[in-house]
Amino acid sequence: MVTGTAAPMLEMRGITKYFGGLCAVSAVDLDLMPGEALAIVGDNGAGKSTLIKVLTGVFEPDEGEIRLDGKPVSIASRRDARALGIEAVYQNLGLVDTLDAPGNVFLGHELKRPVLGIPFLDNRRMAREAARVLQENVGIELPNLREPALHLSGGQRQAVAIARAIYSTDLRVLVMDEPTAALGPEETRNTLALMQRLKAQGIALIVISHNLEHVFAVADRVMVMRGGRRVGLRTTANSTKQEVLGLIVAALDEPVAA
Amino acid sequence: MSVAAPTVDGARPRQRGLPWPQRYVNVLGPLVMIVGLSLFMAVVHPPYFRISNLMIILQDASLYMVLAMGMTLVITGRGIDLSVGAIAALSAVVMAMLIKDLGVSVGIGMAAAVLVGLACGTANGLVITRLHVPDLIATLSMDLVFRGIALVLAAGVVLSQFPEPIPFLGRGRVLDIVPMPALIGLVVLAIGWILYHYTPLGRYAIAIGGDPEAAMLAGIDVRRHKIYQYMLMGGLAGLTGILLTGRLNAIQATSGMGLTLHTIAAVVVGGTSLFGGRGSMVGSLVGVLLLSMVVNALVNLRLDFFWQQVAAGVIIIASVGFYSSLQAGPGTLGRRLAGLAGRVQARA
Ligand SMILES: Nc1ncnc2c1ncn2[C@@H]1O[C@H](COP(=O)(O)OP(=O)(O)OP(=O)(O)O)[C@@H](O)[C@H]1O
Ligand SMILES: [Mg+2]
Repeated sequence: MVTGTAAPMLEMRGITKYFGGLCAVSAVDLDLMPGEALAIVGDNGAGKSTLIKVLTGVFEPDEGEIRLDGKPVSIASRRDARALGIEAVYQNLGLVDTLDAPGNVFLGHELKRPVLGIPFLDNRRMAREAARVLQENVGIELPNLREPALHLSGGQRQAVAIARAIYSTDLRVLVMDEPTAALGPEETRNTLALMQRLKAQGIALIVISHNLEHVFAVADRVMVMRGGRRVGLRTTANSTKQEVLGLIVAALDEPVAA
Repeated sequence: MSVAAPTVDGARPRQRGLPWPQRYVNVLGPLVMIVGLSLFMAVVHPPYFRISNLMIILQDASLYMVLAMGMTLVITGRGIDLSVGAIAALSAVVMAMLIKDLGVSVGIGMAAAVLVGLACGTANGLVITRLHVPDLIATLSMDLVFRGIALVLAAGVVLSQFPEPIPFLGRGRVLDIVPMPALIGLVVLAIGWILYHYTPLGRYAIAIGGDPEAAMLAGIDVRRHKIYQYMLMGGLAGLTGILLTGRLNAIQATSGMGLTLHTIAAVVVGGTSLFGGRGSMVGSLVGVLLLSMVVNALVNLRLDFFWQQVAAGVIIIASVGFYSSLQAGPGTLGRRLAGLAGRVQARA
């Protein structure tokens, strides 16, 4: 899938992010090919979530630049990221517990219907569309669409978060932060299958996971982070879980990247 | 956070919809009390149900209806506005002085009242979002500021005798029966219901109150929407100032002292959660009506004014306790809510 000649669709160059004195991400480079699944692995606090939050407009980097199709882009807000086709399912899923599934799926980009020229929320169409996306694209049917997210199971919550991310028609990059962490075996299988389907549609994936089994099942390449730095990059076809694990825990060191 | 135990059979409903009493509990709680109170009054004091007395109840409830609309949105957005009484007084004083001292036309005077309210609300929103002062502290302090400005402006004078339509708006009777301010209050709450369910204003108040972090991750400009909520609240307090002036056809800087806490109490009784993310305009209407009915009943029973305070506090605790005991979730939340509501009222 990854050939040396293809131009990356997304490039992050020298991304650095400080929280006060703490350097959470330090001069990290990341390339993403069209239709590729890139896994990011690393210990807790390695900077994985921070890096992808820079990409999705939650944090502004202190240094570095992001290019899409070779052109530099500025991603200063979630809206900017969305406009570029970059969506995310965050580690804590980012659902509002007191809103129902359609409310969450469309939060921040509600469907509207003008009544007397005033754009009112089209709750009925949002409910229909949410049910459709959940069923057709995520493969789940909620027993009661009006249920607040608080009462949904872990898998259902995740389905809602994914539905929100993939609803956008011009989705190009989907970031998933620990998508299988809270899931049972069947839900995990569904999620991995969904990732394969998205890949087949040409959508590039960035997947953060602690589960190397899943990483090797879906990812084309795996990037290892430690202490905010990129300490390794492997093609899954030419690597092993042992090797990647070694990079994560610093048993193997890679002088070039570190 | 509810994380399901791993299931082998995939997406399986863990729980169907809430059973019906819990779904409507915010309205049901106070409604049950209204019925109970009505039965009690029917036995003890039947004149309570004379049309004239019912209209007095509506008249009394009207200002709280207007304020409750904004307060429902603000509290749903995990905020609180303790300055609405002062905003109403300041708006009314500015309007009164424009009309009486400067000879401005009544229409412009009324517009000024609403504008002053909007400005005060904007100031609240800015202090909260830009200076990062917690809502409670910010509006408590701004209450002093607004009340202080009103006192400086009016300097202890009572301004009275305003031209129509101010008295009509504040105490007029439509068809010689229905209090005009109550109609205004009902229209305001109906608009509030639409805002809450059918516009981003309401939807984002739920989102921000339910989970500010998630709202931000969804691309919502949390600060801007908090400012909108307080602006609306302020504008409605300005409108309340007009009605307050018209009610006695007089206004002074110390008017409207008890408005704030009574409004918050009614909204909380109506099931809007002080923890944010959940609210109800219909519940607020029922809450406002319940409190006004109780106060009126106590007056009819010739109970001392101070007993009215005690009764109001008991009602809040009883109703909040009632629905939070029915509500799913940890019992501690219900207890904390009841405790907080009790404390809010205790200061009234
Ligand atoms: N909003 C924030 N403010 C301050 N520090 C933060 C913030 N977010 C993350 N950090 C810090 O940045 C570092 C990297 O955190 P990050 O969440 O990116 O790690 P991670 O690799 O995603 O870890 P995990 O596997 O536990 O999710 C940590 O030391 C964390 O404490
Ligand atoms: Mg993380």
